[in-house]
Amino acid sequence: MSYDVMVIGGGIAGMEASLTLADAGYQVLLVEKSPSIGGKMIELSKVFPTLDCAGCITTPKMAATANHPNITIMTYCEVQEIYKEGEGKFRVKILKKPRYVKVDDCIGCQRCEIACPIFVPKEYEYGLIGRKVAYIPFEMASPRKALIDLDNCVMCGRCERACPTDAIDFLQQPEVVEEEVKAVIIATGFKPFDACLKKEYGYGRYKNVIHALEMERLLAPSRPYNWVLRPSDGKVPDRIAYVLCVGSRDKSLDFPICSRVCCMYSTKQAILFTSALPLADVTIYYMDIRAFGKGFEEFYNMAEDMGIRFVKGKVAKITEKEDGNLVVRVENIDDGTIEEEEYDMVVLSIGLTPNSEVVKAFKNVEIELDPFGFIKPVSENTNPVLTNVKGVFVAGCAAGPKDIPDSVAEANAAAIQCIDYLYEVGAKVVVR
Amino acid sequence: MRLNVDFTAKLKKFGAETTYECFNCGNCTAICPLSTNEEQFPRKFIRYLQLGLESKIRSSVEPWLCYYCGECQQTCPRQANPGELMMSVRRYLTTVYDWTGLSKRLYTSTTWKFLSVGILFFATLFIVYLLHGPIVTDHTELETFAPAEIVHPAGYVFGTILAVILLGNVYRMHKFIMGDTKAPFSLYIQELGTLIKHFAIQARLRLCENKSLWLKHWLLMTGYTAAFILVQVDILTFWSLTNNPPPAWHPAKILWTYATVAMLYATTVAIIGRLKKEEPIHQYSHSTDWMFLILLWLTVFTGFLVRIFMQFDLPLPTYYAFAIHLAFTVPLLGLEVPFTKWSHLAYRPFALYFLNVKRRALEGE
Ligand code: SF4
Ligand code: SF4
Repeated sequence: MSYDVMVIGGGIAGMEASLTLADAGYQVLLVEKSPSIGGKMIELSKVFPTLDCAGCITTPKMAATANHPNITIMTYCEVQEIYKEGEGKFRVKILKKPRYVKVDDCIGCQRCEIACPIFVPKEYEYGLIGRKVAYIPFEMASPRKALIDLDNCVMCGRCERACPTDAIDFLQQPEVVEEEVKAVIIATGFKPFDACLKKEYGYGRYKNVIHALEMERLLAPSRPYNWVLRPSDGKVPDRIAYVLCVGSRDKSLDFPICSRVCCMYSTKQAILFTSALPLADVTIYYMDIRAFGKGFEEFYNMAEDMGIRFVKGKVAKITEKEDGNLVVRVENIDDGTIEEEEYDMVVLSIGLTPNSEVVKAFKNVEIELDPFGFIKPVSENTNPVLTNVKGVFVAGCAAGPKDIPDSVAEANAAAIQCIDYLYEVGAKVVVR
Repeated sequence: MRLNVDFTAKLKKFGAETTYECFNCGNCTAICPLSTNEEQFPRKFIRYLQLGLESKIRSSVEPWLCYYCGECQQTCPRQANPGELMMSVRRYLTTVYDWTGLSKRLYTSTTWKFLSVGILFFATLFIVYLLHGPIVTDHTELETFAPAEIVHPAGYVFGTILAVILLGNVYRMHKFIMGDTKAPFSLYIQELGTLIKHFAIQARLRLCENKSLWLKHWLLMTGYTAAFILVQVDILTFWSLTNNPPPAWHPAKILWTYATVAMLYATTVAIIGRLKKEEPIHQYSHSTDWMFLILLWLTVFTGFLVRIFMQFDLPLPTYYAFAIHLAFTVPLLGLEVPFTKWSHLAYRPFALYFLNVKRRALEGE
C-alpha cells in the first residue's frame, strides 16, 4: 500500500484535510498520537457563537474519516523520522505504540475495563474523574478499541480473563513501520497553556481554580458528574469568575500573542453556565474583549444582557480562603478602583501554545518556526498553509492559535494546495 | 490641564524607556502591596506619562510611596517595567523640587556628572593641600595633619549648606504637594511622629513581599546614620580625628565598626546585584544609581583604610587615605544629598508627612 499524503494529527484540521484529499481520490495516511482521533474539539461542550454541540458536529467527521475508503488511520502512533528524498518523495518512519490489545479482535465491549481493578485519572476528562488501566479513551472514541496503560498496570490478568475474544496481548512490542508518501500535512494543533506557570493564580495549589478545558468538560453533554460542581467540596458554585489571557498576551510568561479564542470561549462558557444556573453570578475579567468574528460582538452583547459582568482589568493574584473560596485582586480599569472579590470557583482561560515537536522528525530538511514556536507559513497573509519546505503543508493551530471555522478553512486550503503539489509531482488519482 | 507632548521624551533621560509598552491592564496596581485605592500607583502614573500630564505628576505624592519592591515588574504582561517607570518619576520629581537646577543637570548629562564629581574631588584635595598641618612621619598624628579646629568648622559649614539646600527643596516639595490646601499649623506638629517614624524605620518598605530588601536598606541606613552621628560627636569624644586613637572597645569605635561593615556589605551587595540584574530593583540602572553606589563604596572603603593605616601606625598612608576619603565624601554628600538619589532620605518621610497633613486638613474642612 502506498500513500499520497501523510496527515499528522487527527484533530478537526487533520480530519478535514484528510477528508478533502480522500474525496478527491488521493490515498491518505492519517497519523494520530493519542488512542483516538477527534483532537481537542471532541472535548468541548459547545462552540461559539452558534452554540452548536461540539460532540454532535465532531462525531460525524470522525465517523466519515474512519470509514472513508481512501483514508488509513494510525492511532496511538508517532511519526519519528521524515526524510525528503526528492519532490513528491518522503520516506517516513512511524512508531506504533503497543496498545496491548489486538485491535482487530477487540469488539469494544468494555469487559476488560469493568474487570480491571485499578483507577487512574482520566485524561479525556482532565482528571476530573478516573478511568481504568484497561480502557476505552472515551465514549465516542474512534477507533472504539481498548488499550492498556502498562505504566499503571499491576499485571493481575483480570482483563485477559474477561475479554470474550482473547484480544488482550501483553506481549505486544513497539514497532516501527516505514512508509513512503508524496506530501505531508502538519495538523498537530496546540498545547493548552500550562496554568501552573502563572504562579499568582495558584492553579494546582488551590483546588477551586480550574482551567477552561476542565470547565468545558463540566459543561459538556457527556460531562463527568452531570453538573457543575466545584472540586474542593462538591458545592454548586454560586459565584464564579473567569480570568482571561492566562498564558496569552503576556510577555512575562514568554507568550506575547493573543490566543484568539479565549474571549469567546469564556463568554460561551459563561452563557452556558448562566443558562443552567440563572441566579449564579458570573464575572469575566478581561484585558480587552476581542470579539472580531462574524456574530462574535452580538454574542458578547447577549452575554452582557444575560447579566454576566464584564470587568476590564488583568487579575493580579488570587488567594485562597480556608473554606476554599477564592479572592481575586484586580484593578477595575473602568472605575479605577482596586477590587477584591470573593468567588466559589475561578476558571482560568488558558491560551493556546505551540505543539510543534513534530518538526524534529524532519531529518534532512528543516521546517521553520515563528518566534513563538508555531510552524511558520511562508507568508501569513498570502500563503498561510505552505511551509518553507516544498511538499509540506500546515493547517489549523499548528500554525498559530485560531478557532474551529478558521482551522477547517485552513485544512481545506492545505488540502487543495497539496493536491496542486501532487499534480505537479505526477501523483495519479485512483478512481474507484 | 495642560498636556506636555514632549513629556515622554523628556522622561526618557530619567530612565523611563518603556512608557509606551504599557497597555493599561492594571496588573501592576493590583499586585502592588503598597498601592491603595486612595493612593494608587503605578498604572495611574504610567498613564499620566503616556498622556503627558506633567502638572499632575509634579503635584503628586504617590511616587514617593512606591518603594520599588518590583512585584509589578515581574508580572507585567508587557514587560513595561512599571517599577522602573516609578523610579524615573522620582528622579524627575527630584529635579522639580530642586531650585538650583543642578539636579536636572546631574540627572540628564554625563558631562555634568563627571565634571561636578571631578571638581569637588580635586577642590577638596587642593584645600587639604593648602590647609593641612605639619606632616609627622615617625608616628601617626592625624590631628596634627588635619587640625580639628579647621576640619570640624569646615564640616559644619558644609553640612549647613547642604541642609539648607535640601530643606529648601523640601519646602518646594511641600508647595507642590499641598497645592491650594491650607493646613493649620497644629496638624504639622501632630503629624511629626509620622515623619520621625518613617525616617527611622522605613516602615512601608516592610510591606514588600521580599523582606530582605528592607533589611539591606535598613542596614545601609543605620550604617550611615551611625557614621553621621559619630562624625558629629567627634568634637566631644575625640575618637576619630586624634593623635591617640582610643582602644578597640571604645563605644564610638564599636559603632564605627558596625557602620563600616553594614555600609560596605549593603553597597557591595547592591553593586553585585546591579551587575547581575537578577532582582527587579536591580535590573535597570540609571547612570546616577552607579554614581551614588560607587561614590558611597569608595567613601566607606577609604574611611576604612584610614582606620587600618592608623591602627598599624603608618603615618603617610593614613594622611593620604584621609585626604582621599575627604575628597570622596565631599562629592558624595554635596551632590547626592540635596540634588540626586540620596535626597530621598528626606523626600520619602516628608511625602508621608505631607500626605497625612493634607488628608487631615481636607477632612477637617
Ligand atoms: S492486568 Fe492491568 S489492565 Fe488488566 S485488569 Fe489488571 S490492572 Fe487492569
Ligand atoms: S505597566 Fe504593565 S502591568 Fe502595569 S498597566 Fe501597564 S502593562 Fe499592565
